[in-house]
Amino acid sequence: MRSFSFIDFVSLLSALRWTVVLVVLALGFGAPLGLGLATGRISRLAPLRWISAAAIQVIQGVPLLGLLFFFYFGMPVFLGIQVPALVAVTVAYTLYTAAFLGEIWRGGLEAVKQAQWEAGACLGLSRWQQFRHIVGPQALRLSLPPTVGFLVQLVKGTSLASIIGFVELARAGQVVSAATFQPLLTYAVVAAIYFATCLPLTLWSRSLEARLDGSR
Amino acid sequence: MALVEIRDVHKKFGRTDVLNGVSLDVEEGEIVTIIGRSGSGKSTLLRCINALETVDAGEIHVEGQRVHARMPDLRQFRQRVGIVFQAFNLFSHLKVERNITLAPLLTGRIGKSEARPLALDVLARVGLADKIDAWPEQLSGGQQQRVAIARCLAMAPHLMLFDEVTSALDPELVGEVLKVMEAMARQGMTMILVTHEMGFARNVADRIVFMHQGRVWEQGPPSKLFVRPETPELASFIASVK
Repeated sequence: MRSFSFIDFVSLLSALRWTVVLVVLALGFGAPLGLGLATGRISRLAPLRWISAAAIQVIQGVPLLGLLFFFYFGMPVFLGIQVPALVAVTVAYTLYTAAFLGEIWRGGLEAVKQAQWEAGACLGLSRWQQFRHIVGPQALRLSLPPTVGFLVQLVKGTSLASIIGFVELARAGQVVSAATFQPLLTYAVVAAIYFATCLPLTLWSRSLEARLDGSR
Repeated sequence: MALVEIRDVHKKFGRTDVLNGVSLDVEEGEIVTIIGRSGSGKSTLLRCINALETVDAGEIHVEGQRVHARMPDLRQFRQRVGIVFQAFNLFSHLKVERNITLAPLLTGRIGKSEARPLALDVLARVGLADKIDAWPEQLSGGQQQRVAIARCLAMAPHLMLFDEVTSALDPELVGEVLKVMEAMARQGMTMILVTHEMGFARNVADRIVFMHQGRVWEQGPPSKLFVRPETPELASFIASVK
């Protein structure tokens, strides 16, 4: 038996990079998909609205843990495909991110007055041009603070990936804890690292809120 | 052939008849002012003319072309028919210049190098060339409305529609907007206005159209309509706004 040392701290910190990788993958795939869901929710085509709404409902209604289990344990059973842990967690977090960002951005899009679409239409702009140049930028401004807020949720949410054995920060904490028999200290350090990662994001979100209070 | 031909147009919102068989012609270069109590269908009629609303029955032709929401070249059509709204509807995230040049650039009317000169030109026509780099929120209501008019002018429309454009303004700001519209009228722009500004209607309009219960109730030159109204409804309306 050995006690918690600087080496353990370094190994926890280096596991943080997998947490970051997960967040980046989830955003990289989830944000475009989320944008698709958000625009689907406000589409003029009713079927598109229903599909997007249903997708968001289902994903938001299922615990993140359920998504992880489904893609890691369920895929081999139902489809006979054994997927690597990284793929399973990427898919699960992508869907999770897409659903939540989709709903946040839909709110932003709907907060922009209908008259702004109309003003664009009256100048002969296409629906896409109205979105791209008029409504989208204003919605983005309104959505930025809650989007960054969701990012904090996502960072902490990646800890669940440890359950299926994916080694990120939380899983590394389990490993160090088992080796040192100092769970309290180890998990306190893990918590501190999460906190230190999220704090700047939280502060950023707050300052955005103050700066973009929608007055312009 | 009249520039705008409206034939027996009907429009319902839910179960309410808003337009109840409206027919109206507007000649090129004519200034037509639509007056009437709120709920008489004035604004709806205006919105039908550029297909913001679809008519349930009847037909509207502009420059000989039938107007409806699914017309194949709706976007080109809308570039020829400008509309100014009561609430200005400037793009709040864009500076004045970009508010004006966005649509001309995106629709390919002008190239990049022509954008600023065009913005300066139309702003000069509404007396706001010095505000080209301002944000909309930095402008007064009257100035915002004049920018909105300039934004329309930048598309070089053949017809301008004004939907109660001074109703949201403080009384002391109404004059500057009306002055801009008077200047446009003198330059020969075809204009259809819905307004509560009876003084403006009297002095600038070629023809007054009084709408009541979703119909054209009475129309004629202001000298006749305001002095010798033929229907009791118009007489009581004129008495109520005096």
